[in-house]
Amino acid sequence: MSRPFDRRGRGMVTRRAILGLAAGFAPGLLPGRGEGAGVDARRMVLFPEKRELYLLTDRPPQLETPLHYFRQDLTPNEAFFVRWHLAGIPTHVDTRTFQLVVNGHVQRPLSFSLDGLRGRFEPVSVIAVAQCSGNSRSLFAPRVPGGQWKHGAMGNALWTGVRLRDLLDAAGVRAGAVDVCFDGLDEPPLSSVPDMVKSLAVEHARDADVMVAYEMNGAPLPMVNGFPLRLVVPGWYATYWIKALSRITVLNRAFDGYWMAKAYRVPNNPEGIEAPDHLAVDTVPISRFTVRSVFVRPEPEEQLSVGRPYEVEGVAFDYGAGIRRVEVSVDGGFHWMDARLDPELGRYSFRRWRYRWSPSVRGQQRLLVRATNHDGAGQLTNHWNRGGYMRCIVEDVQVNVI
Amino acid sequence: MKSAAALVVVVALAGAAGCSRRSSAAGRNGDMAGMNLPAGSSPVSEPFSPDRAISLPHDEPFAPPGPGRDAFVTACVVCHSTRYITSQPPFSRDTWKGIVQKMIDSYGAHVTPSQAAEIVSYLAATNGAHRLGDEGE
Repeated sequence: MSRPFDRRGRGMVTRRAILGLAAGFAPGLLPGRGEGAGVDARRMVLFPEKRELYLLTDRPPQLETPLHYFRQDLTPNEAFFVRWHLAGIPTHVDTRTFQLVVNGHVQRPLSFSLDGLRGRFEPVSVIAVAQCSGNSRSLFAPRVPGGQWKHGAMGNALWTGVRLRDLLDAAGVRAGAVDVCFDGLDEPPLSSVPDMVKSLAVEHARDADVMVAYEMNGAPLPMVNGFPLRLVVPGWYATYWIKALSRITVLNRAFDGYWMAKAYRVPNNPEGIEAPDHLAVDTVPISRFTVRSVFVRPEPEEQLSVGRPYEVEGVAFDYGAGIRRVEVSVDGGFHWMDARLDPELGRYSFRRWRYRWSPSVRGQQRLLVRATNHDGAGQLTNHWNRGGYMRCIVEDVQVNVI
Repeated sequence: MKSAAALVVVVALAGAAGCSRRSSAAGRNGDMAGMNLPAGSSPVSEPFSPDRAISLPHDEPFAPPGPGRDAFVTACVVCHSTRYITSQPPFSRDTWKGIVQKMIDSYGAHVTPSQAAEIVSYLAATNGAHRLGDEGE
């Protein structure tokens, strides 16, 4: 499906030239073809409180959302993707005894029960996309190790909870605070495996949009999606959205834990680009989303009828500037037509787009889609890094017109 | 028209709330396309059940036969299922070697150098670059 292509995209040439990466992308060098076939065939699995999802790994669980769920503006909780890092995931929470601790470089270390959290702080809601850093990794060419996701390591939900800022203010962040780190109930299977702890700069942690969510789409979170509390960092990759959040620690120094200092690093440029034969030396912790646009309908290899109008549709999103324009090409990228945008559901939400297409030629046809946000940031025709992160590519879908 | 749309949203969210406890109720919250939920609206809430527990399904480990399989299963399955390997595309021996080294250096995998070499050979044999020709169509 997702073949590398190199002909389209005004502006790409300039960008590639600037980055000096053109050499790494000759299509002949690329063994990957996009389909995620390993030794083991991809199949569906049923986890507790979930519908059937694609199984990537079972322990710890990594489950992918089938594409058709993105026909709904809010991804159902039961179909929302799952990704844990450590085998010791929480399977039991007694909500009568659960406590969220806020401590560290604060005036008053605090501990909240779930009722206390709901009772004490103003509830807030936001519709935001949670997207795995490695969403669509199986489409990288050449292929890279890691969870072999297609486009289903993402979901759009209405998150409801309390502002992280309000919790921090209650505890009283002391002068000199630098980072705030977040830990959940999940535990490493061996003591030598670093616990999954992530951090945000204190300024970001105090941003009004960052929240501790106790509801997802109006219901408690499924256990495997982080019940009872999940950090929500709109516009940033889900690696920061710590599940089963139980401890928030303010530090008066930069956090240097494994999952920030060694893992989830990306090349230090806006789209996290590097070339296979020229790996970046300067890397930074992954942060905000790139601009994305994905076909939801038609699905890959779907059969369409010649001459019959078809409502092509998909979702676009970015880091929070908001999607300004989505364009579709039905001729391999020579001509681009504006897709219609559905009303905006919030700047961190999926923005649905539609394009009515009457295929006029029989046979295999390839559609392309690209999005641009309100900052003018768009998508690339070549994009690669060794981690399979931050995919930011003009996507395609292959259909069969009969 | 507007209130009808709002009603649909409320019903849909109530459906979602009901689903979270019983997967048998899955599928009720229908197609939400066309919804328009402004951020900041207050959703339908449900009180927490006091005690929540799930039991995870057991997935039978799958590891193709071959030299080094025992070393692989003993060392690697302590932390993660075999699917961490079998779900990967074929990689070169060097890539597999790098992955095994990362497991030792970053995660403290308990393997001796000779076991590590055995594991690398097993991974390269069962999911190595020679399989690249099988990939795709």
